[in-house]
Order: sequence, then C-alpha cells, then structure tokens
Amino acid sequence: MDGLISFFASHHAMRAEAVLKGSGWAVRLIPGPKDLSPNCGVALRFEYAQRENVLAALVAKNVRIDGVHCYRPRSDDWSVRR
Amino acid sequence: MIYFDNAATSWPKPPAVCAALSDYFGDAGGNPGRAGHRMSVAAARIVENAREAVAELFHANDSSRIVFTQNATHALNLALYGLLRPGDHVVTTSIEHNSVMRPLRHLETLGVELTVVACGADGMVDLDILHHALRSDTRLLVTTHGSNVAGTIMPVAALAAFAHEQRILYLVDASQTAGAIPIDVQHVDLDLMAFTGHKGLLGPTGTGGLYIREGVALSPLIRGGTGSDSAHETQPEFLPDAYESGTLNVAGIAGLAAGVNFLSEIGIDAVKTHEQKLVAQFLAGASEIPGITLYGPRDGALRCGVVSFNVNGVTPSEVGLILDESFGICARTGLHCAPAAHRTLGTFPMGTVRFSFGWFNGPAEIDVALAALRQIGVWARSELATH
Repeated sequence: MDGLISFFASHHAMRAEAVLKGSGWAVRLIPGPKDLSPNCGVALRFEYAQRENVLAALVAKNVRIDGVHCYRPRSDDWSVRR
Repeated sequence: MIYFDNAATSWPKPPAVCAALSDYFGDAGGNPGRAGHRMSVAAARIVENAREAVAELFHANDSSRIVFTQNATHALNLALYGLLRPGDHVVTTSIEHNSVMRPLRHLETLGVELTVVACGADGMVDLDILHHALRSDTRLLVTTHGSNVAGTIMPVAALAAFAHEQRILYLVDASQTAGAIPIDVQHVDLDLMAFTGHKGLLGPTGTGGLYIREGVALSPLIRGGTGSDSAHETQPEFLPDAYESGTLNVAGIAGLAAGVNFLSEIGIDAVKTHEQKLVAQFLAGASEIPGITLYGPRDGALRCGVVSFNVNGVTPSEVGLILDESFGICARTGLHCAPAAHRTLGTFPMGTVRFSFGWFNGPAEIDVALAALRQIGVWARSELATH
C-alpha cells in the first residue's frame, strides 16, 4: 500500500478505518509518521491509485482528514530484507 | 433483595458490560489516540465504537459531536461554564438537580443573571410562565428531561421551540431519561444534552457525555493533552478532542458501549413502556394505601421511572431503614441532591422516599413493595395513635 491518510484526531482515523473496511477496501492503521503530521496517533495506509474513490467515501460519511500522501514507510524494506 | 434505586445508579448491569471491562483490561489495555501500536489502536476503536453507538442511540448524525465526560455533572458544568459569560441571562426551572443549580448559583456570583421558573406542585413547568421568563437577552434555557424526584417528564420539544423562536440555546439534562425514554436530538432540535452512562444507559460509573450541536461553541472546562495537534501548545478547537483532554476512562467507556448495545437490541421504546407500567402499577396500588402521600404527576405516562412518596407520621429516613432492614428493598430517602425540587413539591426539608425502577425490575417486586408499605402504614397509624 503506497498511500497514506493523516488525521487531526484519532476519532476520524478510527471512523475512516471503519468506513473503508466496511466498503471492502484494504486499509491498515499505522503509527502516524512524524515527518508528515505532528499528531501522536495513527494514520491509515491505502492504495494511492484508489484515492479519488476513497476520499469520496470519507466525505460522504463526514470523516475529516488532515492530508493524503503518496507514502511508503521505510519500514516496508525491513521485512523485505529479512 | 429488591433494588429500587436506579435513578442513583442502575443495577444490575447486563453481563456484557462486565465482560467488556474484562476484555479491555485483558486485550486492549492501551491509551487511545496516543500511539499507533496495536494496544493503543484497540483502545481507540473501543472509544470510537462507543461514540458511534451513543450517537446512534440519540440520533446524532455526527458522532464527533458526542463528547465523553466523567458523568452528567461534568457535562453540565462543561456546557454551563463553557457558554455563559457575565451579563448573560439564563433561565431554568425549580425542579432542577443541584448539578444544574449549583453551577448556575455560582455563575450568578460571577455576574450571570439567573431566572428560576416555578414549576407546579407536580413538578410540571407552566409553558406560559416560562415563555414570559425568556428575554431578548436570554442566552440559555436549561431544564431537566425527567425529574429525579417527582419523575415528571418535561415537554422538551415545546421548550426547544420556545427557546429557538427567540434564538436562545437549549440545554437538556437527560440524567434520568437517557436510555429510558427515546431521545432524538435532531428531531427535538436540542443544542446541548448532558447524559450519564451509569443510570439508564446501564454502563459503569465514571462515564457520561455531552451532545453539542454543530455551530455551538463552548470554552473547554479543562485543557491538556489530546494526542492530536501535538506540535501546538494551545488547545485544539475540533471535536471531540477540544473537550477530551487527558486520558479517557476507556474501561468505563467499553462498558458503556456494551450497555448501549444491550439497549439498542431491546429498543428504548420497550424500556419506556416497561418502566411506565411499573410506575402505573405502583401509583395505582400506593394511592389505595391509607396514610401514603404521593408526589408528582398521577398519570404514569407523564413520568419516567421515578416515584416519590411519604408515609404520614414517619420520616423518609425511617421508612428507608425499615424497607431495607425488614424487606430488603433499596430506596433512596431525603432530598436527592435537589432542594429546589423538594421546595416545589412542598417536601423540603425532610424530603421523600424515592423508588426508581429499571429494566431489570418486575411487577412482582412492585407487589412486594406495596405489601411492605401497607404494613408500614398500619404501624405508622398505630404509632401516631399511641403517641
């Protein structure tokens, strides 16, 4: 998954996960990367190519986001190398 | 044992409530919204699922407008201190609990103008009198939804309409009704509604919340860490974080969600019907016992699951002691933290004996209580005759 949505509040991160999982999208909560957002909580990984549909689904459910990023945490390489 | 003190806190709780607390401590013991590891995420899911469940129960279309607090008193303080400023005028009724009265009396010393509208002897507010108390500079109307002493249900839809005609905000204290009487915050058009988690919602103590309509801005009661906007030393303004500084009572909220889910399966209409049947049964039986004085509306349909009474010649505390020790009936006696309400009913300063029924009470328990009151009534009359 090469996309990442950051949030202002964990309330919206949790709702985003529920909304998108409920619609059958593959998403995963990860610790919010501090280089993208200063929030302590979580961010949501998703397929960046799906961003238009994903964002439309979130807007429809009043889920507010901080930003959408094309982002792959470097930790992905960690599991590949091992 | 017969538990008739559900207006203080409901008992028993559904087994799922106890299981939810155990699950939190066992499987999801992290701090919600503070980290991205699985235990923190699991705790955040618990909190947000609970928020969704509560929002759905009250028909709030945006769950971020439900803010969790320690209890209804905390929620009422957040609403009152967050909204009212010196020079503002606020209107309330004479049936209110001290969780409304004490903050308002304190705000009065800070320069807020307060009008307390007198209710009738049955606790019912006179809409004409209330209408005349509203002024062009009134900022807020505050009323209970259901009296914790007389059980009287306030006509909140009519009160909301009155308030909004004059662009006055309306705060409802739903401590006695949340989970027991259906509430649709959008249909009734409420601006603010405080609720507790441990009474009708069947959750643990230490839970509650405030519904805040979109567009209503409150100053936070406390400020601090929220896990969000952490680069800034100023309080975030977005909900729910603006009003939820400090670690939430996640275990309690897990239990609250289980209580709300239990109620959603039953349906609040069924709870209301059940409690009002018990009230009607009690009122019909007690009104035939000589020496019993009943307070509040005679029509059970105008009440939540709360009844107040006295046995002539015996103090409320004596009746409470006899009920507990000789009949195993748990009742609350005295002033019920609502001196203004007792002045309204004419029962100040001695107070009343209060029975408050819940989902887990049944008609057989009402019969036992009525039989007990008959015996106490006979004893009271002989006591009065001999002294």
